[in-house]
Amino acid sequence: MHGMKQQLTITKEAIDEAALLGGRAMSGGAGAAVYFAGVVRGTEDGAAIAAIEYEAFEKMAERQFGLLFDEMEKRWPVESVRLVHRVGMVKVNQASLWVEVVAPHRAEAFAACQWLIDELKRVVPIWKKPVAG
Amino acid sequence: MNVRVNFYSYFKELTGCGRTEESLPEGGTLHDLYLRLIGRFPKLGAMEKSTLMAVGVDYQPRTHVLKDGDEVSLFPPVQGG
Repeated sequence: MHGMKQQLTITKEAIDEAALLGGRAMSGGAGAAVYFAGVVRGTEDGAAIAAIEYEAFEKMAERQFGLLFDEMEKRWPVESVRLVHRVGMVKVNQASLWVEVVAPHRAEAFAACQWLIDELKRVVPIWKKPVAG
Repeated sequence: MNVRVNFYSYFKELTGCGRTEESLPEGGTLHDLYLRLIGRFPKLGAMEKSTLMAVGVDYQPRTHVLKDGDEVSLFPPVQGG
């Protein structure tokens, strides 16, 4: 059973940050909402690119995100986590990742969010391929 | 026993395929499978130190004993975010 609310979306669609922010839910005990958008840069290894194509092993990605969420819940008093990761073609300046962590205080919200992103880059089976401009 | 093998990211280019099958004696490990695969796909061997392996949806060590029908995935370091 999870006390922490979890929402994971792996999608080919653009990340609608306004809709995500509009959908935020916080209890009276939560005083910190930290969110992060990872955006595709215009260069990769010094060369200009037009986009990054993301490939995911989706079933395993869902499993690994679930394990990370469970571990995050053990480490910090997080009330909710929402994470969106794009797959397919993501153009320069578009978000490939959006994460929000809601917790009682900012220290744990920042720490949990940072940890989650570091860990996803280590274990979640998603890969990128730069697409030339 | 027979196992299915999936390749992801540029391992598909290195092997020239997204998936294959392999036969192993009973009790064969992930490492035994790996040795057979680099025999068939020598370009994979150069990536040995960075190769990640999963059975189903979980990472497993090379000592993991496989069973008939397992679905094994091999891929390079992940790059999400």
